[in-house]
Amino acid sequence: MAETGSCDEELKAAFPSIVQDGAVQGKFSHFLVPKDLVPAITHYLHTQPSLHGRLTLLWAIDDRPVRDAYGLHYLFTLETSHRWVMLSTELAGDDRLFPSITPHIHAAKWYEREIRDMFGLIPQGHPDLRRLIRHEHWPKGTHPLKKDFPWDSVLGRRQGEHPFRRVEGEGVFEVPVGPIHAGIIESGHFRFSVAGEPIMQLELHHFWKHRGVEKLFEQQELTAAVPLAERVSGDTTVGHSLSYCQAVESLLHLELPRRARYLRTLFLELERLHNHLGDVGAICNDTAYALPHAHCGRMKEQIMQLNDRLTGSRFLRGVNRVGGVAVDLTAVQLAEIADELDRIEKDFSELESIIVSNASLTDRLETTGVLTERTAWDHGVVGVVGRASGLDQDLRRDRPFAAYDELQVRVVTYRYGDVRARMRVRMDEIHESIRLVRELRQKIPQGPIAVEPSGRAQAGEWALSAVEGWRGEIVYMVMAGENGKIHRCKARDPSFMNWPAIQWAVPGNIIPDFPLINKSFNLSYAGNDL
Amino acid sequence: MPNDSRLAGKEHMFRILKKSLKTGAVTGQYPAAAPIAEVSTSEAKDKARPFRSSLAFRAVDTGSCNACEMEMNALANPVYDIERFGVHIAASPRHADALVVTGPVTVNMERALKDVYKHTPDPKIVIALGDCAMNCGIFKGSYAVTGPVERHIPVDVRIPGCPPRPSEILQVLSELRDERRRSGG
Repeated sequence: MAETGSCDEELKAAFPSIVQDGAVQGKFSHFLVPKDLVPAITHYLHTQPSLHGRLTLLWAIDDRPVRDAYGLHYLFTLETSHRWVMLSTELAGDDRLFPSITPHIHAAKWYEREIRDMFGLIPQGHPDLRRLIRHEHWPKGTHPLKKDFPWDSVLGRRQGEHPFRRVEGEGVFEVPVGPIHAGIIESGHFRFSVAGEPIMQLELHHFWKHRGVEKLFEQQELTAAVPLAERVSGDTTVGHSLSYCQAVESLLHLELPRRARYLRTLFLELERLHNHLGDVGAICNDTAYALPHAHCGRMKEQIMQLNDRLTGSRFLRGVNRVGGVAVDLTAVQLAEIADELDRIEKDFSELESIIVSNASLTDRLETTGVLTERTAWDHGVVGVVGRASGLDQDLRRDRPFAAYDELQVRVVTYRYGDVRARMRVRMDEIHESIRLVRELRQKIPQGPIAVEPSGRAQAGEWALSAVEGWRGEIVYMVMAGENGKIHRCKARDPSFMNWPAIQWAVPGNIIPDFPLINKSFNLSYAGNDL
Repeated sequence: MPNDSRLAGKEHMFRILKKSLKTGAVTGQYPAAAPIAEVSTSEAKDKARPFRSSLAFRAVDTGSCNACEMEMNALANPVYDIERFGVHIAASPRHADALVVTGPVTVNMERALKDVYKHTPDPKIVIALGDCAMNCGIFKGSYAVTGPVERHIPVDVRIPGCPPRPSEILQVLSELRDERRRSGG
């Protein structure tokens, strides 16, 4: 609805003291704002109906070596026009305080706590200043992303327990679950307050798997850090490496050949397919309906074996590289993919009709774990979970990347936000992915599959990139340092946005439904924790 | 209407049976794994002797990227079907014969790993699954990582890979347990 630049004019009219940085490029505007004006401007971006801004990324950079200040940056996606608007501010000299925007923009809540943990900058007015990433046994004053903190420090230990929000009352129990769980699943902690079976409150306590990924990126060269990006969240190998590569290619001003973009799209869709297939089965399994779990496991295995035959890796590792892809596919291989997916489509459709006609399963899934559209929007929920709650957002259509500008993606949304909606979104996306792969195969052009990454980025130059991975929007901000190294890399998995939302979907449900709700979200612990 | 629901129930069952018959048995339909580089030590084999017919393992994730967990989950799918070898998952360390540990032991998971080792009754074996558990993989040196696993608890078996394929995991496990039966495929 807003033309290029007209929302910029609107913003400048409402807040005369902000400065626009750089020419308006495509669907991106950048403003420099004074620190104290940030809450007002972000509130404006978020609540103006003509803008409908969603907080997409919030990050800090330790710029003290260069200009004796910390930089704070806010990226919003204006959902009316899908433009990106970025606000930059700074904390100069000894300043360590910045105004929190969480009271109005709840999506900022974990970002600001992360900045506090990683940089020691305090969000004033944030309602929850407990430690997030650094668990209570980390020594005081440990702020790993500060430039004077060595990446390979050995941390001491101190005594400390995480203070959970307690629910007091007769008959109210506190049930801790995790970090090690009953099945084969990642580590994370859930603290329930229950009265009998119904859950009154769920509080998350994650970041057990924090490996220091962003600091590790800073030790790597721009063109060499793809294996690290692949392992941020292992089941989203293609999504993360693609987002990272796109950011670096933007920095190095590389123009990718069309065939490379098509192949990247194909691999991303294969990743979406095998994960969604596994999820549909796992959701059914959590209601003790093991039959679809077995069938879906079998189909997922077929795709993983296909990945292995095509690229040597079941997870498609080593496929993305800066400049394109490292693996080409022959016409025979493309035909093999098409045949395999034809079989799976028929196979899955038969299973689908079995699943949806099962009344007792539908009874378990319907109205369970409802995440309302309002809560999802308020907390910046993205991806499958958002679409199941009625949020019409999909980067493949809204901000096309790779070869999606040449494809029409049908975006699936459901309204009820319950477990059934999240399963239906996945089922429909499976069909859509198969259709997209067919179309990709028809249209894929001949040509090279990569360009050599030549040229250097200037120290201090940065680029943003976003990709619709299978869980949702994956955002990377990469800033170049000296000699082709990375100065700062902010990686944001969609799980970082969606995890807090589960705390609102669960209350009112009974404890046995929690694994089902959790599985219907199926968020990454590793991608969240970094 | 009782008649309709009976019919719907029958039709539903027919669909399920038809699909199962059409699918057939898929167990073993995977390419054979390459021969393993390191065989298990005789100490490890001795320790694993009580578990040759039945092994209950507890999965402990100390900070993996999740790919190793996905391959472990694949072991339970109809294609690999690890339960046919008497291997199953324990929901509590108290019921476990083995701990299968993934990840480079983050600062935040160090205590949980030590606790779970302490709470698993003897006899037990510890299997370090994946490169991160063996040598911290790509996270080596990070301030947030205290691994590898053998820095904290004794490790009996190592399965390399990033991640190791389910067929490779099966191969190590069957070699460890001196599996005489063919794994099929």
